[in-house]
Amino acid sequence: MYILETKNLKKSFGGVHALNDLSISFAKGKLTGIIGPNGSGKTTLVNVLTGMQAITGGAVVVGGKSLHAIRPEELPRLGITRTFQDVRLFEQMTVGDNIMVVLTARGPYAALTERSERKREERVKEVLEKVGLWEKRHQLAYNLSYGQRKLLEITRVLAMDADIILLDEPFAGLFKEMVKVIVHIIGELKAAGKTVLLIEHNMDLIRELSDHVIVMDAGGLLAEGKPDAVLARHDVIEAYLGE
Amino acid sequence: MYIPYVDIVPQLIANSVIAGAIYALIALGFNLIYGTTKFFNLAHGAVAACGAYAVFAILKTFALPVNIVVACAIGAFVAGIIGYGLERLIYRPLRRRKASNMVLMVASLGAFTALQAFIAILFTSQFQALESSGGISGAIEIYGAIITHTQVVIITCGIAIMAILAFIAKYTLFGKAVSAIKDDEEVARMVGIDTDRIIGKVFFIGSAIAGVAGILIGFDTGIEPTMGMNLLLKGTIASIIGGVGSLYGGFLGAFVLGFAENFGIWKISGEWKDAIAFVVLIVFLLVRPEGIIKK
Repeated sequence: MYILETKNLKKSFGGVHALNDLSISFAKGKLTGIIGPNGSGKTTLVNVLTGMQAITGGAVVVGGKSLHAIRPEELPRLGITRTFQDVRLFEQMTVGDNIMVVLTARGPYAALTERSERKREERVKEVLEKVGLWEKRHQLAYNLSYGQRKLLEITRVLAMDADIILLDEPFAGLFKEMVKVIVHIIGELKAAGKTVLLIEHNMDLIRELSDHVIVMDAGGLLAEGKPDAVLARHDVIEAYLGE
Repeated sequence: MYIPYVDIVPQLIANSVIAGAIYALIALGFNLIYGTTKFFNLAHGAVAACGAYAVFAILKTFALPVNIVVACAIGAFVAGIIGYGLERLIYRPLRRRKASNMVLMVASLGAFTALQAFIAILFTSQFQALESSGGISGAIEIYGAIITHTQVVIITCGIAIMAILAFIAKYTLFGKAVSAIKDDEEVARMVGIDTDRIIGKVFFIGSAIAGVAGILIGFDTGIEPTMGMNLLLKGTIASIIGGVGSLYGGFLGAFVLGFAENFGIWKISGEWKDAIAFVVLIVFLLVRPEGIIKK
């Protein structure tokens, strides 16, 4: 059963077709690795799926519902969340508040009067302790190290408890120990039945984590299937290495 | 030993604090809006004037039998509603059309001009007094400085509103949501913060504070339709020298400006006051463009 699909999805920037009639599907509760050379449209796909960039043509189907436009504010309702290749946190807020703020459900008048409730504080503590950032809860996000910033962004994803999670190069630039921590978190997300889309250049990690792999090239689908089979294909190797 | 000028120093300090409190009230609302939306809302000054004229309409034009505090609360509410209305009817549709901050600023200049003209049409362009027979009159003396009761209220309001805003920013989820929007509006929307609603409330609160400033100045010195421009300029200067978009920066900048202006004219004509304000602005722009409180 597919929870997320694209139907002839197009995204153009002037004359450049970043996504070119792309039709792919993501199975519910599975981790799909998305690979492809630089400029193949991977990040554009995530940006379009999360409403950060407008759809030029085609549609995105989420839970059976066809959408021709997505706005970022609709993502929580659609059960989608994401991380960014270049980490985007609320820089001038503390680590704790970065998580607290995504746990807020606001009614028309509640926002002016509601205080940080114990339930939310407990949830913040739970997720921050899980990733080892609880000790840093009073620090501004701006002051965290690169690895901790990546980790906090993934923690935000954990806190939001969305069904579909899009991870855009979560391991880029991380040292080994931090990679292990994030691999563990992704494992937990899989175990919890989340649908994960993972953009990654490290083929060992793609092999280790993916149930299914999609290879993109020039904004289109080049290949898809089981990780070992896809990564052994000659055309995939050629697209990556330019042979 | 006779020390010349010593008699005037307490009054200069008092005047500086009073001016600082007025500028702080404007700067607090201005910075709250700027910090959240990242554009210079030039209509802010005219919104302050609207608050003052709403009270004028209640107490003088219609001479409604209401308590002065109630009239002021209604005036602040009217200013808040006008600010919120501008956001809903002009700024939000423009943001939806991906308008740049420059476009928004020009639109706010249009709103400023329209509101000012509207006030002049309804209430005439002449200078008018807002004093009330049953209201705040009289004065107190502190170390030789004379401070009217209205000015005491101005200082108290300036400090109290700053404290309330600081509390909201630090301890409420609304404050945290505003901080999130300040940092990254797109991500804030993505994680489920209703940015339109929060920005609407920011406009209401910021404009209501401007309304309070307009009303208090009205009681202190009187009102005229063009009063908003001077308030806007001083509030903006205070924001810039304090740190534009920063709550504490605007507050601090307002008092720095108040002291600079009042001590600047100690030995020269009062006509120099505005010139001094702009000299301070230019010095800050040259030496510390990010303002006193640097992010």
